[in-house]
Amino acid sequence: MRSLHLLAPSSFSLVLFDCQCQISSHLLFPHNLNNGIARASRKLKISQFKASFWESIRSGFVKNNMTRVIEPPSLPDEEEEEPLLEEFVLVEKTEPDGATEQIIFSTGGDINVYDLQALCDKVGWPRRPLSKLAAALKNSYMVATLHSVRKSSGSEENDQKMLIGMARATSDHAFNATIWDVLVDPGYQGQGLGKALIEKLIRALLQKDIGNITLFADSQVVEFYQNLGFEPDPEGIKGMFWYPK
Amino acid sequence: MATAASAEMKWLTTPTRRRRPDQIDKKSRIPIYISTNPVHVNPQDLRELYSTCNHSCHRFPRLDQLGRVEEEPVDLKRLQIALSHSSILVSVFCNPHHVTTTAINGNQRMNPMADFVQNLFPLVSPTNGSLVGFGRAVSDLGLTASIYDVMVTPSLQRMGIGRMIVQRIIRMLTSREIYDIAAICSENERLFFKSCGFGDDTLSSTTMMYTRTISTCHQNDWNVKQAGRKLLLIPPCPASRTSVKTNKS
Repeated sequence: MRSLHLLAPSSFSLVLFDCQCQISSHLLFPHNLNNGIARASRKLKISQFKASFWESIRSGFVKNNMTRVIEPPSLPDEEEEEPLLEEFVLVEKTEPDGATEQIIFSTGGDINVYDLQALCDKVGWPRRPLSKLAAALKNSYMVATLHSVRKSSGSEENDQKMLIGMARATSDHAFNATIWDVLVDPGYQGQGLGKALIEKLIRALLQKDIGNITLFADSQVVEFYQNLGFEPDPEGIKGMFWYPK
Repeated sequence: MATAASAEMKWLTTPTRRRRPDQIDKKSRIPIYISTNPVHVNPQDLRELYSTCNHSCHRFPRLDQLGRVEEEPVDLKRLQIALSHSSILVSVFCNPHHVTTTAINGNQRMNPMADFVQNLFPLVSPTNGSLVGFGRAVSDLGLTASIYDVMVTPSLQRMGIGRMIVQRIIRMLTSREIYDIAAICSENERLFFKSCGFGDDTLSSTTMMYTRTISTCHQNDWNVKQAGRKLLLIPPCPASRTSVKTNKS
């Protein structure tokens, strides 16, 4: 059986089995791979994984070979570093009938606004104009998504891909960030997926020295965020909203 | 953000409230120049304004015993990055002469004639004026916006400059149909924003900030990042969670 196991970023080697499968077809979002390499961050840890990940894909697969971490090319002083494209399998389940379901975490890819609208409907959010949604996504500092990819056993042609979670953050790229629109499909809640989304956002923001991370939580999720390290009204800091008179 | 940046001159009236009972209650008008053109913001002048206003880029700055911000002046490069990624920048300039005399004298005029002549030909502009007020907003240009760093030099406070800045920001946002405008403010800024038309969220959301530090966490190995006086904990990367085999019956 063909299978591809991608390890999470904390381990910096990539183990590829059974190299006959086409990796590119597993990528949900057709990124420009060169983009990912060229914009390697100076933070070695994360960039090492990314460089090795993409490099190993491009350099071809060797059976049962542990790919070594490749030093990313040192860049000239680049002030504006965009958040990197990143995609990895967060969870993989194998069902008794042989079908697999992967939950894929991704940042930097394109989102289908119709899928997002459908997801917002599922969690019961009021509808917002699609054009505004698209603009908001495009101009957010970072958009993290979770997709479920279900593969039936046997042929690879019946992959079902579904958007099951999203979180985004706006930022001035230097000091402040606000996290908006965090949602996980009700059928996938309770598994730590929301936690993974938020932690990823925080990690990415802090690594860029963006220390003021704010969000506005509905009453029923305040505890969820508290468990993730957020404090309500810290030192009297409050968010106020504008109301036209 | 491609904006039709505007710049205009306005007249401000110094506060009429008497500072002392014996003081003559004289209004004086000073010209100020308000601009939304990012080009007019000089990062070095802005950095100085932060210090003058005792304002920090960090939400939790180190403070001395008197409550003054006690940290290095903000890094110019980072400030420039923040400015270039702010959707709206509003800056207010004033004739340097007015900044100091107002500070010293409050309502009193040092030399009425000099003031009169000066005000006949108000030549304040971003190039010859001092930066006395500032405000910026970060937006996703679709749904939401957040206002940050609204500040006015102490000698010219309570004259409506701050409110002018906020109203200009709001006007620019609403002209782009963004109505979800948030301002994250500390306790002593709340009254100011309230007077600008801000209030608590109607949906009663709770404002929360990431404040997890080593002391508030039970993790064993950690990476931290300094933000003001807080040493924030960076969440670890997810442990390998692949190949979870479930037997769905």
